[in-house]
Amino acid sequence: MKKTGVLLILLISMAFSTKAQETVNISGFARTYEGITFNNGDFGIIQQTLNLNFEKIGDRVAFKVNPMIYMYNSDSLDFRLREIYVDMYFSNIDIRVGKQQVVWGKADGVFITDVVSPLNLTEFLLPDFDEIRTGVIAAKFDYYVGNSTFEAIWIPQFTPTERPAQGSIWYIQPDFPAPPTFDWSKSEINPSLENSEVFFKYSFLGSNIDFDLMGGYTWDDNPAMHVERFIDPTTQPPSIAGLNITPEHHRLYLTGGSFSTEIKGVILRGEVAYYDGKYFQTEDPLATDALVQKNYLNYVVGLDFSIGDVKLSGQFIQKYIMDYEQGMTEDETNNMATFLARYDALRETLHLELFSYIGLTDGDALIRPKITYDFEDSFSILLGSNIFVGDEKGQFGQYGDNSMIYMKIKYNF
Amino acid sequence: MKTMKFKGIAIALFLMASIAANAQLTGREIVKRAYNLPSGDDQTSQLTMTLINKSGQTRVRKIQQYTKDFGTVEKSIMFFMSPADVKNTSFMNWSYDDENKEDDQWIYLPALKKVKRISSDSKSDYFMGSDFTYDDLGDRKLDADVHKLLREETVNGIACYVVESVSKDEDYMYSKTITWIRKDNFVGMKKEFYDEDGELLKTLSIKEVKKISGYWIITHSVMQNVQNNHKTIIKLSNISINTGVPASKFTERMMMRGI
Repeated sequence: MKKTGVLLILLISMAFSTKAQETVNISGFARTYEGITFNNGDFGIIQQTLNLNFEKIGDRVAFKVNPMIYMYNSDSLDFRLREIYVDMYFSNIDIRVGKQQVVWGKADGVFITDVVSPLNLTEFLLPDFDEIRTGVIAAKFDYYVGNSTFEAIWIPQFTPTERPAQGSIWYIQPDFPAPPTFDWSKSEINPSLENSEVFFKYSFLGSNIDFDLMGGYTWDDNPAMHVERFIDPTTQPPSIAGLNITPEHHRLYLTGGSFSTEIKGVILRGEVAYYDGKYFQTEDPLATDALVQKNYLNYVVGLDFSIGDVKLSGQFIQKYIMDYEQGMTEDETNNMATFLARYDALRETLHLELFSYIGLTDGDALIRPKITYDFEDSFSILLGSNIFVGDEKGQFGQYGDNSMIYMKIKYNF
Repeated sequence: MKTMKFKGIAIALFLMASIAANAQLTGREIVKRAYNLPSGDDQTSQLTMTLINKSGQTRVRKIQQYTKDFGTVEKSIMFFMSPADVKNTSFMNWSYDDENKEDDQWIYLPALKKVKRISSDSKSDYFMGSDFTYDDLGDRKLDADVHKLLREETVNGIACYVVESVSKDEDYMYSKTITWIRKDNFVGMKKEFYDEDGELLKTLSIKEVKKISGYWIITHSVMQNVQNNHKTIIKLSNISINTGVPASKFTERMMMRGI
């Protein structure tokens, strides 16, 4: 904490020193964010945030440093360097090296081919989409030919998805049939050439259509849970006396693509990815480590259009596990939809928005209405609600007790 | 030199190189001449837009913009410099000579870190909370309206054609517009916009026109909404023409990189 404090003072000093402002572009925001759960009136979220961007863009080189400081409750500080990288520009090539966020694909709010930067799910899917991604330490190469771009990314150090810690309102205690013990010895991936991740993408932006094709040799961001069962033979019938669970990340291949086009004022978007070699949990007693390896398809089709002054967007998302076997804990198909309606009023100073995730398979949903008013160009107040409804076993319904109303006040500079 | 339909915010709609007025032009021919102004192969400028409400409170937007004519397609790109909450946002438009082909448009939102294709079917939307719609800022297709020469009139000592334009689309947001176009050079002087009920909604006044690199460019204009007493002032500065803006400026790469 002491070191973080010193670092903060240094950064803030840098941000507001006259010399720095002369040479480096400084922007960012300060935000206060409070949420009260409907269930018990507790402040589920009390968060103060300072986001700073230090940027300098030249003709041939550029850099960016993006420290972000979250203060939870009264004094718990979380400091993150969300991005820190340098850019080198050549006539047809750009190279970016350092910690960076990479965003791929055409889908909104779902992650189909957008898998280069892992997610920070410590607050489920609630953070703004620019905050939900985790930066990866990578070298990115882009080669441009006309309206085409060839992109290659090398990530020497694997970064997994961040999950809510025990004690968080977003932590879900797994159900085990017997007392578990955890072996974390295989949960880390050592940074090495052998353990690198690589991604490739070809993208085209042009008249009538934009599309991209991608491929990746990566690690599954979510570890497979290798389960070893200890049977008590003294009971009749023999029962499970205990479990040894070893979380382990596995290699994953994926290939996919996305497109976007306009048809008579309607934007049609699509994105698909084929994942090869994913480990799924199974209850089949004959399965090794309670896991089975399968390939699966994940795709989305979406439309953006307007009715009057209301902007609307809808997406259908399906995940389909191939060569499905009985006993797998996930369904063979999982269908989901998203819906967005947005209306701007009072000369774009008042913004009304309704965004929803709808779990079609599980019969649950996350409904997110919000209203934002810009007092001034750089100062806004937001009132919103996160409403979790439906089946308590669904990914949204399980958070039924976390439905909340919240407020964000934000100053951009 | 090619004729350039400036899709950025130069309000090229009202400009015309000096062409001697012919004896009896129709409304369509007058507007066609005003639309087909020569304005160079490329333009670079900085735009400052000031929004003033009826209480006198102001909001300011600054944009760096580039436009280039590629023959059958004209490409423009805008980089938003302020206010802070839209800084580094960029917008790109490709406009085609083919009247049957809709524009292609994309927006880059730095928070989302990706370029999104957006519908060009929202030309009646107001641009950044101003009094200008996207349609007001760009050039409407000539035959999207029926043009009728109403009369000839002298404004501030300058002889003008007064042309009424009525959209062929019955659902268009304006029931009609009336434009005052100078007879000597076909430069626009002012324009009135009437709402769907036929009531005067807005008045556009051209305050300053400058000759830059041989081309007439409007550098100061005011759009006044007379129904709610709100107005928007647009000023162009740092204008340069035919400097050889590279084609690579109008790409996804530049949208993401910024100015």
